[in-house]
Parts: sequence; C-alpha cells; structure tokens
Amino acid sequence: MSTVRKQFKFTMFLVFRPFKGFWDMKYESYGSLRTALSIMLLLALVTVCKQQFSGYIVNFNVVDELNTINQLIYVIVPFFLWCIANWSTTTLMDGEGKFGEIVMATGYAMFPVAVLYLAQTLLSNIITQQEAAFYYFLDTLAILWLVWLMYVGMMTVHQYSPGKTAVTMALTLVVCGIILFIGLLFFSLIQQIVGFAQTIYKELVFRT
Amino acid sequence: MTTLRRNKAARIATASLLASALFMPGMATAKDPYPGYTYSSLDRPLAAPNAYTPERMLDGAALGTGSLRNPNDLFVRDNRIYLLDSGNNRILMLSEQYRLLTEIKTFRNGDKDDGFNNPQGLFVTEDNHIYVADTDNKRVVHLDGAGRFLQEIHSPKSEILPANFQFAPAKVGVDRAQRVYTVGRGVVEGLIEFDSDGQFSTFMGAPKVRFDPIDLVWKRLSTKAQRDKMVQFVPTEFNNVDMDDSGFLFVTTQTKSSAPIQRLNPTGLNVLRAVDSAPIGDLNHLFGDESMFADIASGLNGSYSALDMTKGRIFTYDEDGRLLYIFGMSGQQVGNFGTPVAIDYMGDKVLVLDRERANITVFKPTLFGAAVNRAVDYQYKGRMDEAKAEWEKTLKLNANYELAYVGIGKSQLRNGDYSAAMRNFKLGSDRDYYSKAFQMERKRLARLYFAPVMSVAVPLLLLLWLGPKAWRRWLKPRLRKEAFHVDRS
Repeated sequence: MSTVRKQFKFTMFLVFRPFKGFWDMKYESYGSLRTALSIMLLLALVTVCKQQFSGYIVNFNVVDELNTINQLIYVIVPFFLWCIANWSTTTLMDGEGKFGEIVMATGYAMFPVAVLYLAQTLLSNIITQQEAAFYYFLDTLAILWLVWLMYVGMMTVHQYSPGKTAVTMALTLVVCGIILFIGLLFFSLIQQIVGFAQTIYKELVFRT
Repeated sequence: MTTLRRNKAARIATASLLASALFMPGMATAKDPYPGYTYSSLDRPLAAPNAYTPERMLDGAALGTGSLRNPNDLFVRDNRIYLLDSGNNRILMLSEQYRLLTEIKTFRNGDKDDGFNNPQGLFVTEDNHIYVADTDNKRVVHLDGAGRFLQEIHSPKSEILPANFQFAPAKVGVDRAQRVYTVGRGVVEGLIEFDSDGQFSTFMGAPKVRFDPIDLVWKRLSTKAQRDKMVQFVPTEFNNVDMDDSGFLFVTTQTKSSAPIQRLNPTGLNVLRAVDSAPIGDLNHLFGDESMFADIASGLNGSYSALDMTKGRIFTYDEDGRLLYIFGMSGQQVGNFGTPVAIDYMGDKVLVLDRERANITVFKPTLFGAAVNRAVDYQYKGRMDEAKAEWEKTLKLNANYELAYVGIGKSQLRNGDYSAAMRNFKLGSDRDYYSKAFQMERKRLARLYFAPVMSVAVPLLLLLWLGPKAWRRWLKPRLRKEAFHVDRS
C-alpha cells in the first residue's frame, strides 16, 4: 500500500518537475516498470471511457462502429511501437537509456493524459456547445503535456542535448513507420507462403 | 359505446399498422415502382416508407388533346395546369380534373398571326399572364390570361455583351415587379434580367467557376499548345428557374457544382438555407451518378422539390435544406420516368412532365407523406403542438425518421419539457438543439438544487475545516480547565 502511495507521489512530482523527476527515475531508482505499465493500462482504460461516456455534444462516435478491443489496441500498440523504435534508434545514436528506462519514461509521461482525459469525460457531461471549447482545450493541453514530458524524459534517459533529442524523436517516428511497413510486408509474405503451401498440398491430394 | 369506439380506434391502429407494413422495404416494390429511402444523419441510405405514390399517368390521348410531342415545361397556377407542348408549338391549359380548357397556338402580333417555334420554357404570373421562352424565335413572348399578345422581348442590347451573342431563351421566370429572368442556352454569366418594359438590365447570380486542384496542377505543368486542347474551366450554367412564394428565384444547374440548387435574392446572392449540408440530391455521388437537377418546384411553407434527371428521382427538402423524402425512379412502369424535365405542385400533388414519354405523371401523398407535409406546415407556422402530433404519426410509420424526433423535441423544448426534448434531439441527431435543451435543463436543475445543496454543503465543509481547529484551540483547553477546576474543588 505504501509503495503505491509512494509511486503516486513520485508520479505527481515527475509530471510537474520533469527534469528532476526523470533524473530520479533513472539514477535514484525511483522509477518502477510496474507503475509505468499500469499508467499505460490506465490510459487505455480511460480512452475507452472517454469514447463511451463523453457527453453527446462532443461525442461524435458512431455507436455501432465502436470497438473496445480496438480502442485498447490503439493505445497499447503505439506505446510499444514507440518504445521499440526509440530503443532501436538510440542504440545506434549513443543513447544511454536501457529499454526498460525508455518504457518507464514513456509510461510516466502518459500520466497527465490519463488524468486530463478523465477530467474531460466528466466535464463533457455538463457543458453546452458554446462551452465545448474548454473540452477541446483540454485535448490540446493533454497532447502538449505528453510531448513535453516525452521530450524531457528522452533527453534525461539518453543524456542527449536538446537538439539531438528533437532529432531522435523525429527519427523514432520514421522508424515507427518502417517497422509498420516491414510488419505488413512480413504478414503478406507469410500469407503468400501459407497460400503456396496450401496449393501444393491440395494439388498433391487431388492427384493421388 | 366506448367499447365500440375503442374497437374502431383499434381497427384504425391495425389499419395504419398494416399500411406501414405495406410500405416496408421489400414489400414497397409491390405497390410503388420505386424503393423508398432517405439519408440518415450519418449520410447513410436508410429504407423508408414512400411519401408519394403515382396516382395516374396522363398522355395526349387521356387529355384529349392529341398526342404531345417533346413537351418541355409545365406550370401550375391556381390549380390550372399550363403545359408547353414544344413539338406542336402550343400551350395547353388544363383544368384541375385534367380536362383541356384552352389551347394557345397562334396569337395576333400587330396585324399578323404569330406562333411559337420550339418553345422550351413557360411561366405564369399571379395575374395569369403567360411568359413563354420562344427559343428558336429568339424571343420571350408575353401573353395575357386569355392568350392575347401583349409584348415580346428580343435579344438584349448592351455593350457588356459579346458581339456574337446568341439569345436562345430556354427557361423564363417573372417576379412580382414584372422583371423577367431568362436562362439563355450557352450563357454562363447567370440569368439574363429584363425590366418590365423588356429592356435588358443585367446578368444576375453569375455562378462561380469551380475547378479541380489536380486539373490546375496539370494546367500549370502543361505547355500552351497542350493547354489549348484541354477543357476550359467554364462557370456552371443555369438550366432552370422558378419563383418561390416569397419572391425569391430558385435556380438549378445541371453541370457539376457544389451548389446545384440555389435560391437567389434580388441582388443575385445565393441565400439557400442549408443547416447541415447543401442539398445535392443523392449523397453517394461516386461513379458519376451525381444528381443532376432539371427543374425545381417550390411547395408550400418553404419546402421545395428538385427533379433529378440522372436517376429520375424527386428530392424534397424543407426550408432549412433538410431532406424530407425521396421518391420516383427511372424505369418502365407507371410512375417511372424516361426523361423527366419539369415538376410542379398542384395542391399537395406533384406533377412531373416526361419529355421522352410525352406524358404527365401525377403523384399523390401517401399516409406517411401527408403526415410529413402537415407536420412541416404546422412547424413553419409555429404551431408546434399540432406539428408534434403529426410527427408522432410519421414515427409510427417510420421509426427511423430523424426529422420527426427533432420536430417533437422542438415542441417539447418550447413547452419546457427539457429532458424529454434532449432525448428526442439525441434520437434525431441534432446536436445544436440538444445543446439548447441541455442548457435549459442544466439551468432548471441548478435553480432547483443549488440552494439546498449549498445550504447543506457549505456549513458541512466549514465544520470539517474549522471544527478540528476550534476544538483544539478553544474547546479542548477550556474543557480541560473546567475539569481541572472541578477537580480542585
């Protein structure tokens, strides 16, 4: 119980004092992989809630197209994609961060988004169309905060200069694209191989 | 007596249920030669009961006028039908019962007999004067109600016109100030406007040029010789004109346009109301089956029906540009069209003229269509409670009819039943009105609960906040002192 409270306090400290926070996370072993992954799961859950329970005025979801599994995947897959792509990039670019640290930094950086999304969901149920600007403002705020925390986190974890951090983050996005492309290619090749094997098998079965 | 009445009510309910069952998709084809559908707020086609059903088909034989040849225009004024039989160069005036009243073939122009030559358009003013776009004679002819010649309007003369300007009036419209608007064939500058003396005054409502950004890129890249061979960006050409009840001009364009239906004010600005999106007919306009409007008829209460030549459909919109219903289709059966060219209302009936088949199809509203028409009528007049009753009838026939929910919601909003209004606006997917109803409901709840909640919460919070401090600072020491005091004595 006390570790949960300690981790909560640390997370709150980190999101407001990111430089010191990420330093403590990496060098003073304050960070916990379990917390980071929990925050990620929390965000996934909150995203689903936001889709499902946002007020009608700002909720443009088509209910019969809503798929909770997909909603979960849209958070979890990009998270790991980013971590893997970032690790691959920074390993080649003299980054000091270990994979675990990258996962931790990314996880902690997501905390404000989760909280703000929750606040948004609650707020959206008591606003009218004229006040919807506040709702969208929170959206922007959440994204900006996330990017800022990621930036500081990457800088601290890898011990980069500010410029190099920006370049690495941009490169990470490119690598994400490459990974997706290779993934798709791989799947389509596998499909064709399976199809080929099936054809040969059928051919053999029909001939004998 | 009561049981009898209840019986009757039940029987009516069953009858309406049966009727609604008849209009269900799949079964609709058994009755009407076209499927009923509408578009949901997500722009998806949805099956719907048909709003209009073909009543009868009238050709030359049925009218007793001899066969029609390429009739091009139709106009209804005071329940009289004016039919322009272009191939036979005559105007036929028909009664409400579709009997021939008069035939205008020749008229005295000065001291000689004159006639039409392939006229394409016709307009009848409120005092029953007839204006004919006498296309191949390159003039507009103005006749009085008895078919006597009054005036003719010739090719406009002005320095703003090119030297080789060809005046071929195809359609004509006249406003209350006797200004004459003509759609000229091949004229891309807009409507040609004449004053009441037949003098050219101006072009109005010139449509904007629309082009594809991709085309523009290609044009930039190509050489001059290539460019000259390409299709030019030409402004859209109007192809029909009609007046509505409040004196605005309805125009349609046949060429590709983002606004195929326009409502022009006297300065030529498009003032068509479009709450959700501009009325463009069919929404899935991929594969080139974009709706092309041949004519438009303004119905009562600001609603209007546009005739789509591509699929032979009629799209009816309300004054806010919301789709009310769709009916009609190209085909071979009674109630289908070959080449529909003109549409007009006679009361609540819709008359469509088919040039290819040389006949008129009369459509009458179904149970559903009549209820929608009445609801729109009441809503237009602001009689929201009566409108609500009619909308409820339409919902019995079509539970997917979003406009009905919005209509009911509007009435409830006005009557202060905010939470019910919210529910209906949600069903009708109208976020603007939902927001309005929500705002009122929020205000009501705040008024109701603010005082009690605060009068409990504020003291409670104060007690929680100050209570422990007060306890520690004053009450506890004093109690202790007293105890001490007691102890000493």
